[in-house]
Amino acid sequence: MKLSELRPGEYAIVKDLLGKGAIHQRLLSMGILPGTVIRVVRASPFGDPVEYEIRGFFISLRKQEASYVEVDKIVPLGMVPSGSVVRIVLIDGGVGFIRNMGSMGIGVGETVRVLRGCCPMLVQTSKGKFNIGRGIAYRIFVR
Amino acid sequence: MLVALVGNPNTGKSTVFNALTGMRQHVGNWPGVTVEKKEGTMVVDGKVIRVVDLPGTYSLTAYSIEEVIARNFIIEEKPDVIVHVIDASNLERNLYLLTELLELSPRIVLALNMFDEAKKRYRIDVNKMRDLLGLPVVPMVAIRGEGIDELKYEIIHGKFNPRRVEYPEDIEKRIEILSDKIKQIGLEPARWYAIKTLENDADVLKKLSGMGAKDVLHLAEHLRHDIEDIFGDDIESVMASSRYSFAHGLFHEVAAPINVGGTTITDMIDHVVTHKYLGIPIFIAIMYMSFQFVFLVAAPFQDAIDFFFNGKDVNGVHINGLIDLSYAWMSTFMPDWLASLINHGVLRGLGAVITFLPVIMLLFLILSFLEDSGYLARVAFLMDSIMKKIGLEGRGVIPLMLGFGCNVPAIMATRTLKDETERKLSIALNPFIPCGARIQVFAFLSYIFFPDNAALVLWSLLMLSIVVVFLLGILYSKTLFRGESQPFVLELPPYRIPTLKGVSIHMWEKSEGFLKKAGTIIVGAAIIIWILASLPWGVEYGSEESYIGMLAAVLAPLGVLVGLTPEAIISLFFGFFAKEVVIDVLYVLYGNKGAILASMTPLQAYSFMVFMLFYTPCVATLATVYNETRNIKFLLFVIGEGFLVAFTMAFLVYHIGSLMGVGI
Ligand SMILES: Nc1nc2c(ncn2[C@@H]2O[C@H](COP(=O)(O)OP(=O)(O)O)[C@@H](O)[C@H]2O)c(=O)[nH]1
Repeated sequence: MKLSELRPGEYAIVKDLLGKGAIHQRLLSMGILPGTVIRVVRASPFGDPVEYEIRGFFISLRKQEASYVEVDKIVPLGMVPSGSVVRIVLIDGGVGFIRNMGSMGIGVGETVRVLRGCCPMLVQTSKGKFNIGRGIAYRIFVR
Repeated sequence: MLVALVGNPNTGKSTVFNALTGMRQHVGNWPGVTVEKKEGTMVVDGKVIRVVDLPGTYSLTAYSIEEVIARNFIIEEKPDVIVHVIDASNLERNLYLLTELLELSPRIVLALNMFDEAKKRYRIDVNKMRDLLGLPVVPMVAIRGEGIDELKYEIIHGKFNPRRVEYPEDIEKRIEILSDKIKQIGLEPARWYAIKTLENDADVLKKLSGMGAKDVLHLAEHLRHDIEDIFGDDIESVMASSRYSFAHGLFHEVAAPINVGGTTITDMIDHVVTHKYLGIPIFIAIMYMSFQFVFLVAAPFQDAIDFFFNGKDVNGVHINGLIDLSYAWMSTFMPDWLASLINHGVLRGLGAVITFLPVIMLLFLILSFLEDSGYLARVAFLMDSIMKKIGLEGRGVIPLMLGFGCNVPAIMATRTLKDETERKLSIALNPFIPCGARIQVFAFLSYIFFPDNAALVLWSLLMLSIVVVFLLGILYSKTLFRGESQPFVLELPPYRIPTLKGVSIHMWEKSEGFLKKAGTIIVGAAIIIWILASLPWGVEYGSEESYIGMLAAVLAPLGVLVGLTPEAIISLFFGFFAKEVVIDVLYVLYGNKGAILASMTPLQAYSFMVFMLFYTPCVATLATVYNETRNIKFLLFVIGEGFLVAFTMAFLVYHIGSLMGVGI
């Protein structure tokens, strides 16, 4: 789906950029690349442009520009209600962080069960039960 | 020694520049374009060092003037040291620019600014960063002057041993092949040229084909296809991804996030000021209060300046001002015409320039406050979809609104628009916004001619101007000022409290620019008006026998078409000088209020005001238009469109009014 189709509060991961020329380069230099996580923050009063968060900063894109960004919708683990079983699709962080998560059985492709919702949340992984704080729960994405 | 400052917008680059150079700076333009160039000097250990502030950019592609200016400066002027100002609280994206800079020069000092804000988000290991990069890294809080001395130290003594930004093996191999070829034709830095050629950089490709380097271009095309095939994506994405993984990797090596979460203050403010229903009313309220503030504070100063130069009438007795006194004094020892030229021409012109100053300074104070605090970006966000209809991005609303205060700073403020076409469009529309001085004249005339409905008449004029600006904007953006639509990727930085120093330096810069450049033109125009009003020899100043009077007589038949009396035409001539003068001239020509009232029907008066609403703006505004565009043709266009719109609108008003039998 297109980034412009998402609603405030939703998250997505970039799949592809369709534009050419100036807009293409502009999005790239802002760090909007395949694999980047984007959060839709809010729409302006007339619905266009829309504010997005990427890599910890905030930008506004017109609908037209956001429609050049192909994305997949994802959900941060922190937003998953208790009782659900979800599959992890992305861990947003450096090598160390990814390794730490891996030692708890939280890795891309793994399935986890949420025992208690955020925050702190309690999850059941293949390696046991773990408490997860808010900061971390919003850097793990599931579908 | 030459130092260049580089960095993303909103990283505190100007603050660092100000801290380094203090008041030893001046502002100009980059040759051929209207992008601002700031230059200054600093003294370290007795050495005088030239510092140039390059435009803020996110990358160094060929897609915007700012980026081209920045990279050409580095390639051509070869600064001895590049200071890369980084917003440490936004490290990853800022490091992306570093990857591009490293391809241009090894002599880079990293100024990790906003370290106070960064500390709230993560722990940054500065030493590790230094080791990993092989470059001097200076943590700074520029607003408090922290780290400035260390920065100066590193500029002089820094050791540069940078790590190279490595692309994946399959790309590196090809960069090497290409850069060997490029070395042979003598382009430096060869690696940078190789990378840019591979990346399809329009400017570099043009340069190469200009040099006739066909084989290099062929080779590059071949290599580019290889890379695109291997990675299954377009070259630009492939290269940007590699750079970002460098930035990403480095970022996670040196910064450990502190998990705070929750809502930030910025988020809370934005929740209110960009609110669906409250956002725009809040914006209008902020602008309204700003204007109240400006006029409240400026009025006494303006009155005092006016009194100083022109004197004042108190109960029918004229108290002499500087012009009267100096004229009386000078005529004792020089011919009368010369004394009159010096005093009624030059000195009066100077007076007009200075009277503008309080309003200009205060409007710039407001503007830099809005800009530095981060609110301007929100205005752009709020207003974008409305402004897009008239061919401008959201920020385009600011100059138009400032126009209600004074068109001079409003036109200077069009610099916030990055796109050249949009800037011109915005300048072309601005004179149709009635400034404070024009509104005063309208208020005055409304009270004379429409004592019962003065407020209504005034509002109708304001609404008329907004409608005309809107319609012209739609028309212009589809015809004369049709630009290719620029991507509008706008950063919404966190709110910050502007510093007094930053705001006042900005305010001073702008006012100084106005005084120096526009000032000369205004004084010149004052002299021309004086000549037209005093010649031929011996006529009474500004009377019907003077050249101005004769011109008015020639124009009278045209004036009749829109209901203008010859006296009204003369007053409009003087209004070119400064709009508030119109009233004075009418008084001089007619004698008193009753005679003014008797000279025109209400319909004629309304038509007169409509004409004044749109015709040529005052000379200070025209001087500013010229200054900002350096384009005589454009200036003539602005004058021409003014007359055309004024004449058309006044004609419509006068004739429709006559037909319907209103106000005659
Ligand atoms: N907290 C903090 N704010 C800063 C610092 N340096 C600059 N600022 C503020 O950030 C805003 C933008 O700074 P400015 O120098 O205009 O940024 P530029 O767009 O990069 O030139 C202003 O309000 C400054 O007062 C800093 O080190 N810490």
